[in-house]
Amino acid sequence: MSSDKKDQNEKICSQLLASKSNRRDFIKTMSIAAAAGSAALTAGCIPSANAASSEEMKLRWQEFFKENYRMMTQEEKDETVARLERLAKLRNNLDLQMSSLPPIEGVLYGYAFNITRCEGFMECVSACVKENNLDRKTDTQYIRIFEMEPGKLDPSTGDGQYYHEVPVENKFYMGTQCFHCENAPCTKACPTKATWMEPDGIVVVDYDWCIGCRYCQAACPYYGRRFNWGQAEIPKEEITLKQHYLGNRLRPKGKMEKCTFCIQRTRKGRLPACVEACPTGARVFGNLLDPDSEIRFVLKNKKVFRMKEEIGTDPKFWYFID
Amino acid sequence: MTKIFNNCLIVLCCAIGVGGQAQASEKSFLDEVNMSNEKFDNRSVPVDKLVIQESVLAKEENQDGPFRVLTRKKLIGRFKCSSCHTGKAVTANQGLELTHSDIALKHGQEGQALSCIDCHHVEERNFLEDKKGRKIDFDHSYQLCGQCHFRQKRDWLGGAHGKRVANWAGERVVFNCTTCHNPHSPRFEKRFPATYSVPLD
Repeated sequence: MSSDKKDQNEKICSQLLASKSNRRDFIKTMSIAAAAGSAALTAGCIPSANAASSEEMKLRWQEFFKENYRMMTQEEKDETVARLERLAKLRNNLDLQMSSLPPIEGVLYGYAFNITRCEGFMECVSACVKENNLDRKTDTQYIRIFEMEPGKLDPSTGDGQYYHEVPVENKFYMGTQCFHCENAPCTKACPTKATWMEPDGIVVVDYDWCIGCRYCQAACPYYGRRFNWGQAEIPKEEITLKQHYLGNRLRPKGKMEKCTFCIQRTRKGRLPACVEACPTGARVFGNLLDPDSEIRFVLKNKKVFRMKEEIGTDPKFWYFID
Repeated sequence: MTKIFNNCLIVLCCAIGVGGQAQASEKSFLDEVNMSNEKFDNRSVPVDKLVIQESVLAKEENQDGPFRVLTRKKLIGRFKCSSCHTGKAVTANQGLELTHSDIALKHGQEGQALSCIDCHHVEERNFLEDKKGRKIDFDHSYQLCGQCHFRQKRDWLGGAHGKRVANWAGERVVFNCTTCHNPHSPRFEKRFPATYSVPLD
């Protein structure tokens, strides 16, 4: 056992000496060697030597020293995705299919919500929780549905915690989630540039660069962001295995997360889980740059409005009435 | 004197500043969206999930051209209707189970409630019939529903009513009217929501 480890250390050291490398690579390789050899490093994010196999430890070290997602080449993205898949297998025996699929050319996603049609069944909320691997312990939800008095259009005046038979006479229902603002204040507030808008209009978070300062949560005028106070708890059989690096992969403790228009689905042509689950057809999703798309039909032919339009955030989420 | 001059300068700067801001906020990504009139080929997107439900080519087109609708006939338990409706008399003990006593008709406003033959063809029971006497296939019921619900139909064609199946890209496959609405009782029934929300933080 110990001779195996020694061999491995020697191998790593010889690799280290043989290859020319820059400072970052040097630190990375050194730390892998250190992790493999020493049992003393046990604090914080450094994996404990006896708890983890050396393969797992190596992967975790490589993960620790990776770049911001936006700085990675496609090759590096593939590598980190492969590492995360392997780590999930080693740690939790999960067979993930993680993707780092780039945006589709000529696509800008937009969303419309029909406040006449929504009847408050909340199928969207439970579909979202399942699809995006949200924490069941704290009942984290990206979508909120408010039961509203007629004539009011500000969700803060509505009841977001109703639980009775719906729809109720003379009430209407209004859903909120991340609006994927074109001029998103949350991305400007982030001190580590861990959140940004992708070219297809989806505002995403790099969970591994987020430091959990919650500035973005404070900056969002729509309460669109959620914080992980602990490691998410999900029954193993309910974990969605088709994941995206910027989407529904399992978030570590202390990270921000939010609706990503189900990036793992939409970049493969599918509808977001909430749209697919909606029993009344109140949710419309599509490509804003396609003049013949459903979303463009809504913008052209229906009475639409956006929430807090006057603050200039330019959300890509419209409400409309029949 | 210099004080007045300074004040003037400040006012002038503010005016320029406000003017500049106003100009900036007038420009929006929506201009880009509205200007984008180039046709986007939805089928060029590699679609991950195939639509498994059976569908037929709709008899009408929308702004994007032909599209498909989900079928209905296979979901009607006792289709074809003509297998019973033969014109022959039925004995009473069979009649009890064979009549459509399970259907509660709740369609149309009070006092103007619809009856069976408002939609169903009187002679040819495998078909529906609209008010102009056109024979309509069960798979294309939107042609019938649209004669009263013309506004909903226009929205359905365009994409503001109803929904697509599974994908935003690929070939357009949409839910039929009867996929969501029970034609005999089209309003959604009251029920408890699927889940509930706890307060934020």
